Order: sequence, then C-alpha cells, then structure tokens
Amino acid sequence: MSLSREAIVEGLQHIVGPEHVVTDEQVLVQSSVDNFRKLQNIFDVHTMPVPAAVVMVQSTEMAAELLRWADEQGVNVIPRTGATATEGGLESAVPDSVILDGSPMDRIIDVDACNMQATVQCGVPLQALEDRARELGLTTGHSPQSKPVAHLGGLVATRSIGQFSTLYGGIEDMVVGLEAVFPNGQICRIKNVPRRAAGPDIRHVVIGNEGALCFITEVTVKLFPYFPESNRFLGWTLKSMTTGFEALREVMVSGFKPSVARLYDPGDAGLHFSHFAADDDCVLLFMAEGPPGISRATADGIQAIVDTYPECTQVDSAYIETWFNDLCWGPDKIIAEDERIRQTRNVNRTTEISADWSSIGEIYAAARDRIVAEIPDITMMGGHSSHSYINGTNMYFNYFFNVVGVGPEEETTKYYLPIISIICEETLKRGGSIVHHHGMGKARAPWVKDEYGSSYYMLETLKQAFDPSGIMNKGTIFPI
Amino acid sequence: MRILVGFKVTPDFESLREADWIAGEGNLADGAGVETRYVPRLLNCFDESALELALRLRDAAAGRSFVEPQLSAVSIGGSQVEPFLTTLLALGYGRAARVDVGADVDFAPAAVASILAACAHDSDGGDVLLLGCRSGPGDGGTVPFRVAETLGWPCLSQVVEIEALSGDDLRVTCLADDCLLRVTVRPPCVLAVGNAVVSRLRVPTLRDRLARRDVLVDVLRAADLGIDIDLLLEREPAGLIGLEAVRRARAGVVVGGETPHEKARHLLDDHLRAVIERL
Amino acid sequence: MRAMAVIDGTLGSAAAQAGALDAFLRDGLTGAAVDETVVLYRADDGRERLIELSPTRDVRLVKMAASCPDTAAGVIAEMARAGDVSLLLLAGGAGPELATRIACRCGGAVLTDVLHAQAEAGRLVCRRPVYSNHMTGRFELRARPWCVSIDAGWACAGGAGEAGPDTGKPGEGSTGKPGEGSTGKPGEGSTVETGDRSAGGALSAGGHRVLSEADETGRTVDRRFRDVELGPPPETGDLAGSRFVVVAGYGAGSREGVARIAAAATRAGADLAVSRPVVMNAWAPMDRLIGVSGTRTAPDLCIVVGASGAAALHWGIEGAGLIVAVNTDERAPIVANADVAVIDDGVAVIEELAGMIAELRR
Repeated sequence: MSLSREAIVEGLQHIVGPEHVVTDEQVLVQSSVDNFRKLQNIFDVHTMPVPAAVVMVQSTEMAAELLRWADEQGVNVIPRTGATATEGGLESAVPDSVILDGSPMDRIIDVDACNMQATVQCGVPLQALEDRARELGLTTGHSPQSKPVAHLGGLVATRSIGQFSTLYGGIEDMVVGLEAVFPNGQICRIKNVPRRAAGPDIRHVVIGNEGALCFITEVTVKLFPYFPESNRFLGWTLKSMTTGFEALREVMVSGFKPSVARLYDPGDAGLHFSHFAADDDCVLLFMAEGPPGISRATADGIQAIVDTYPECTQVDSAYIETWFNDLCWGPDKIIAEDERIRQTRNVNRTTEISADWSSIGEIYAAARDRIVAEIPDITMMGGHSSHSYINGTNMYFNYFFNVVGVGPEEETTKYYLPIISIICEETLKRGGSIVHHHGMGKARAPWVKDEYGSSYYMLETLKQAFDPSGIMNKGTIFPI
Repeated sequence: MRILVGFKVTPDFESLREADWIAGEGNLADGAGVETRYVPRLLNCFDESALELALRLRDAAAGRSFVEPQLSAVSIGGSQVEPFLTTLLALGYGRAARVDVGADVDFAPAAVASILAACAHDSDGGDVLLLGCRSGPGDGGTVPFRVAETLGWPCLSQVVEIEALSGDDLRVTCLADDCLLRVTVRPPCVLAVGNAVVSRLRVPTLRDRLARRDVLVDVLRAADLGIDIDLLLEREPAGLIGLEAVRRARAGVVVGGETPHEKARHLLDDHLRAVIERL
Repeated sequence: MRAMAVIDGTLGSAAAQAGALDAFLRDGLTGAAVDETVVLYRADDGRERLIELSPTRDVRLVKMAASCPDTAAGVIAEMARAGDVSLLLLAGGAGPELATRIACRCGGAVLTDVLHAQAEAGRLVCRRPVYSNHMTGRFELRARPWCVSIDAGWACAGGAGEAGPDTGKPGEGSTGKPGEGSTGKPGEGSTVETGDRSAGGALSAGGHRVLSEADETGRTVDRRFRDVELGPPPETGDLAGSRFVVVAGYGAGSREGVARIAAAATRAGADLAVSRPVVMNAWAPMDRLIGVSGTRTAPDLCIVVGASGAAALHWGIEGAGLIVAVNTDERAPIVANADVAVIDDGVAVIEELAGMIAELRR
C-alpha cells in the first residue's frame, strides 16, 4: 500500500527534521522537471506530477536513512545536485516522488597537490573546485558547458564529459574513488588508488547510474597541471564533412592528443563562425595544450596532417582563440537564450551520439536528411563532432525549430521526441551509441534495450540487485 | 506604406576579454583601437526590435485587410552583413541592401545619418524609416534625430510599440523622458525603437530560406547614393581621439576589526556613511 | 566663451535634469564656466519652482505652448546662434534629441552620454562610454556650438540635495553680461531683458536672477503628431528599482537565519533579496529571488550576506553602485567581486550594521 502525500512528508520530517523538508508549492513544481521540458519551463506550463517534497540532504548518514525509509515504504526518490540535466533524468515520472537534493553537501574535503587528486562532497559546484585547483596551478581538466552551474555529484551520476575530453578524458577517466549510498541504506566507499585489477571495476556501477541505482555523496577526481600560456589554436574551413571526418580521424589515429578537436557542419558553423566561414563551409578546429614542448609538437603535428588536405583552408588562429575564450555558458547567455525562445518560440535542442569512424559520417548525413525531410518547421539542422577517440567520435546534433500551432506542452511530442527518434534509429542501425554524454534520462530510455542488446541482461541485473523495490528514479534509464 | 528598416551589425563585445580592450591615443576612427575582427557578429539589439516590429506591422495588416506594407532593410557594412540580409529576405523583406562604403563609420554618426537619409530618399526607400535608437560601438543615439533633421520628417524616439491604424496612420507608443507617450503620426516619419518588449527577430525555416534562395542582396556603393564618403568623414563634426580603459574590477577591501560589532562599525564609518546619507 | 545649461522644464524630469547639470558643473566640466541656464516651461509648469532648480544663478526663461523637442530645439538654436553661444549642456532622457537637433540646426557638434568635458585652447574634449561601455572614448568636438548631453550617471551624482545656486563658481563676477545678441527676438516670441546690468537685479528667494523672459507660445507645435496621450511609465518591481538591497544567501543557514537577515534589512531600510538556494529551500518566497532566474537590480548599495557569489547571482547585482560582501569564507568569489568585504558571520554582522544604519538614518 503506497503512502499518502501527507504521510510521506511526515515520514521525511521525522527522519531529517522539518527544516530540511521543503514543501513549498513553487519549489515542488519547479522540481518536477529538468531542462528537457525547456519550452514548458520558459512558459511556466507544468504537466509532470508534482513531487511530495524536496529533501535537503545534509550528510551521507542522512541519505542512508532516507533511502532505507523510501525503500521500505516504496517511495520513488530522485537524486539531484545542480539540477542542470537536459534529458528528463530529474523529471518526476510518478506522483508523490521525493527529490533528494545533495546540494547542501558542498564541502571541498581535500585538494591534494602531491597525489594530484581532490575529494569533494556531491554538492560542490565544479566551478568552485576548478577555482580552488587553479589557485595551486592545477585544473580538473573537466570543463562541460555547464561548469558554472553543475555539481560534482550530478556530473559523475550522468557520466559527464568536458570540452577538453580528447586530452583529459570523460569524467569516468577522472574519478579515482567515491562514496555512494544504496537503497537499503548501505554506504559504500571505493578507495582512491591509481589503478586496480582486483576484479571488475565497480566504480562504473556508480558512474553514470543517473540516480537509478544509488545516491552519490562524495567523489575523488584527478587533478592536472594547468598550462594556459602554452595553448595553441588551429582552424580551417572546408566544404565537405566527409573530408573533415577523414582529417579528424587521421589526427587521432596518428597519436596526437589535442585537448579540443572539433568538426562543425555548415549549419552549426553558421551559428558560431559566420564572421569568417561562408554559409556552406564546415569548420575544423583544434586546440593543443599541456607543457610547452608537448603543446608545440601537437600543434605542429596537426598542422602537418591537415596541410595534406588541399580542400582545407586555414584561418587566422585568433578566430579560434576568441571562440575558445567564450565557450562556457554564463548567466547572460542563459537569460538571453530563454528570452529569445519566449519571444520567437524558436527552440534549440541537441542530441549527442557516438560511433566508430566508419559509420559516423553516414549517421550524421542520414539523420540530418531525414529530420529536414520529415519534421516540420525546422529552422536549422546541423551538428558537430566535439569528442574524438582513437576508434571513433561523437556527433552533437544541434537543431532549431519553430513551435507552430501547438502549446508549449506539445513541443516535445510534436518536434523533439520525433527528432530524437530519428537520430536513435539511424545511430542504432549503424552500431553507434545513442547517448554520448547527456545521459539516458527519461527521454531516451525507450531505446535502452536496443542500445544494450544482449548486454541488457547485465544492466537489468544491476537494477534488480541494487534497487529491487524499484524506488530509484523511476523511468530513468529503465522505461516505465 | 513602405517601411525601411536601417540596422547595424555589431561585433559581440561580450566575447572579448578584458585584455582585448587596448587603450590608445590618436585618431582611432579607422578601428585601430580595438580588434573586433575575430569575434562573431550580432544584430544591434534595438535594430533587432525594429526589424521584428516591421514584420509584425505586416502581419497585422494581413490580419485586418489593410494594404500590407512593403518592407525593406538596409545596413552599412561589408560581406559580414550578408547572412543577416539573407535571413531578412527569407522572412519576407522584399528588399535587403547593404551599403558598402569601404570605411569604418562606427564613430561617424553624421556620415551614417547622411547615408540613411539618402536611402530613405531613394525611389525604393520608405515612408517610415525604422531605426534602433542607438548602437553599440560609438553612436550615442544621435543618428535617428540627424536623419529626421536632414529629411525634415517628424521623429519619435524610445518607441516601444507601433500599431497600424487605417489610412496609413501609425499609433506609436514611446517611453518618453518620464512617462509613456502615445501619439498618432502620419508617415513619412522616423521612428527610433528603444526598449521594446518585442526584442527578438523571428527565425525563418529552412523552407522559407529555400523559397527565397534566388532573391539577391543589393550591394550599393556610396556613390550610388550620391555620397562622397571621404568628404563626409572629413566633415564629421566630432571625432574620436583616444580610448581609455574602464576599470571594472571591484576592490574587495576586507574590513578590519575583532567582533561583528567592530567590523560593522568600521564598515559603516569607512565605506557606507556617504552612500547611506544619499539614499 | 559663452556657455549655457538647458533645462527642459516642460518635462517631468526637470528636477533630475537640474540635479545632473549641477553635479556636472561642479565635477564634470573643466576649463569653462557656465553662467546661465535656459529654462523652458509651460504656463502650468510652476515657473517659480523651475527658476529655483537652475544650477546657475542667472536664468533665461522661455515659455512654451507645449512639450515638443522639435520646437524647443528651434528656440534654443536661435538663441545659441544669436548669442554666439559656444557650449550648450543638456541632461535627462530628452537631452540627446535636443542636443542633436540644436547641433544640426546650428552646424555644431553633438556628443551624448558625456562623462567629462574639458575646454582648452579653444577646443572641447569630452569623454564618453564607447563599445557598449567596455571603454571610454575621448572625442574632440570640432564644430561650434558644442552641444553636450551629459551621461545619465550624473543624475545619481546630483542626489546630494536640491540643486542650489552655484555660488561657488568662478566667473560669478563676470555674469553681468546678458548676451548682447539675444535681444534679436528669435522667432515669433518676444524676449524681455530683465536681468539688467544695474546692481540689485531682482534676485529670487533662492538667490536666482532672471536675465530674460521670452514667450514662444505662439510657435506652431508639430501638427504631424495627433491624439497625444500621456500615461505613467510602466512599473518595475520593488527589487528591480530598489536603491538599497540586502541579499541573503545559503550561508544564512536556515529559515530562521534568513528571517533575521530580513528583519535587519527592514530595520536598515533595505529591500530583501535572496539567492537561488534560499528559495529552493523555501526559506524565502520566489519573488525575492535575485539573479539569472529572478530579478536583476542596480541599487546604490547592495549588501550580500552569506552568498558565495556564483555567476548567476552576480549577474543580478553587478550593476550595483557599491557591493558589500559579508561572508565567513574569504575565498568566496563574492569577496573578490565586492567593493568591501567583511569576513565574519553574516547574520551577526548585518544585525549590528542594521542597528547602526537605523540610527544614522533617524
């Protein structure tokens, strides 16, 4: 028998004290969604079930008690910290959910320059940790666009990636240890070591669990030396994405590790580079960083490779450096974007996938062509590759459409989900992954079995083992 | 009714860093002071309002069976302006032109006004000249008034709303000095758009773009408008002779004292007294 | 060199214009003395009050039929031409239009948003913001008259009280020069020279002397404008328009902490604002939220108590005149982004401070 809303609130207040249980209606309504329903949020149209409460989690022990209680009572809980998710991972899919907000746990526990690692509680903003590291001439190497707003707990839970991943890796390459709490109240600490071969690497049960298995309370990440003065920038325009993918691949497989390696298609390039690129130009760009000798060698090596592509026309590196200096989304941009959408109903959405070098170009072209042909009111359809690996790369589809003839609440059904659907289909057809770094959330959960194939058995078993009552973030990763 | 919107494309100054703003002496009218070549371009915000307001006047006319106004747009600038003009064509502007004067007119509002007046005067010009009330780099909001003076047209500034009445009359709302002013004006007139609620230009679909692919942007030279740009620049009544940095960082002075009481006392006595007395 | 200030008293902002001009004459203008002020007014504008607003002792009054920048520009342009005026100073929201129109009609130069002006060796060099406020540009005004519309910031600087007569100005002794040219009655109006050279020219209660009075009510107003309606300006919320804000951050620690900061704010005469974590904890209602998802404010004084100063919050207060941070952590970003910082418990400090401010303001 499930608890009433009132009983849930009472139960929570009993455990953590009324001062940490928020039941303010406006807070609850805002907590029923994340940025997946961007247009609805902008127009203040809310359609998701309103959570019963938001609990401000103060400690690991408090998280353990809360989870144990929710597990016993069958109450759905949604863990969150910075709440910057974009794929519906923080939506309350079922009525009377409880949001476990870890943002009060915001202590930087240790910044260890000798062992080059930093330990923080889940609610520490990445920006705060990065600022602290910079004071010591260090960097986390992690720089997602959400850096000013996202917190470490959420970044680890969603398998975040930063703009310099080609050099530093994704968050999974940075997390050396962590602490997480499971629904039965079990607190697990994974110690911080350089490497281990003592069986499977269980960090990966936690990294990317999206709150569907456990609540992350603490993480330890690597630190790197910071050499901003030796950054080097390179950029080219070219007419064909195929050539661009070839050049990008050659740079990667030749053993170079630029921190940024990107290829923009003409549509996406038009948004950022129309001051130097023609409207049918693709843009290929790189940034090399690290100790001066490495940065120089990397830049020289990339230069030599791209020079062999006569189709590529080099641009003044100042264009790329200026672009780089303005990468992160500060408050001004967020405000301006929301206002633009409010007035024009022209919505910008993104969907990121990955695939090997042989398939990425085809996936890009097939999805792009289908979306332009099948979806109405598209104003821009483009994308870029921004995270490359030895065996392939990602494609960050970036598209805009005018929302015409429907209310904000139908934006997802009329436009966004059909587009996601096309991208997922074209990606799966060619063996790629339908999620590169935003997380499955609830938006792409319907494709989970196709994504995993026969390995879904392992994923499902994890869920059954760690969350047998199914109280952890219902609908995320595992569709309802 | 013909509506001509004059707009400016400006560098996105926000994407420059503090170090990019280099102070200097001498005649910087040729843009030598601050390097803006490498930053993206934006529609000047007030001009963006003006461009959208014109489209809304057209839409409203269609809805009320008035004669639809003919829209055209003009900007002064090089090829970097083209993407903006193509967008306007896709949105239904009948004509989109750029005047390529081959010189930087950021700090030459009198020259800009002469060019815009000539465009409005042109046979393809407009009865309503819609402008943003000011633009970023150097213009302090004098252009609309200069154009109005040159053309002898009435001018309303800080326009926030425009409504078409029957018989070509316009009902214009302005945020005047200290009040909201509503007046009816019969074109020709100059309207300078200020902080309008409508501030973002709609976005054309890929289909809109395809449909208007063959309409070309007009490129005019100063001479086509009967203008001698060198002479205008030489006669510009005020000129930029130097640039100074603006100190932005706050001091972050930490107040001394032992107890909260002492610190509050120092804070008040050393830093706040004057401000509070003025409140 | 003859220099004049202009107050358009047909506008509701006359007092603000006067305050700004007064401040500018004191601190913004060097190398030139402004000895007279032209005051435009309508029959019902309160002539006496407007005279007292003048930043200079000597005043020239022009009676207008209506508020109309086009007509006003015509009248002043004629005065400027006839009186061989080199410098005209204007203020307020309508300043740029008047200054531009006058310059166009007299073949002069105009500069708006002027921060400082310096007359030197027959030329005028002014400073004004350029590149969307990222730099200050120095301009030389080449053609005369120099028509200068001063920056809106001078209105705040002029808040020290009623703009009184500028008795301390150098050149006061030489003001008995009523502008020979101005007798050439401009337009359809009539000018009566009242401020005669004889000593004891009637001084007003506030010590002002009216040099001349012209009646320009006969001028045709622009008939191309019809059905003129005036309404109050759109309202801004109390936070957006507040002059003194106290921001409570998550460092307040609890609902009670925020309540104590709120009480202190009230005592000090400030409006309370809060950061996002505070509203998300429901320690204060959503309409108090400042920053990206809430209100943006630009008060004269902003005291930030227990907020770290994340970018989203800072966006909401960066226009403040003076930012004070009260925070236990001296490494919090707000400390570097504030003018003054107190490193201590926020609630304790703001309560102490509020008491002192209340005392001061009593």
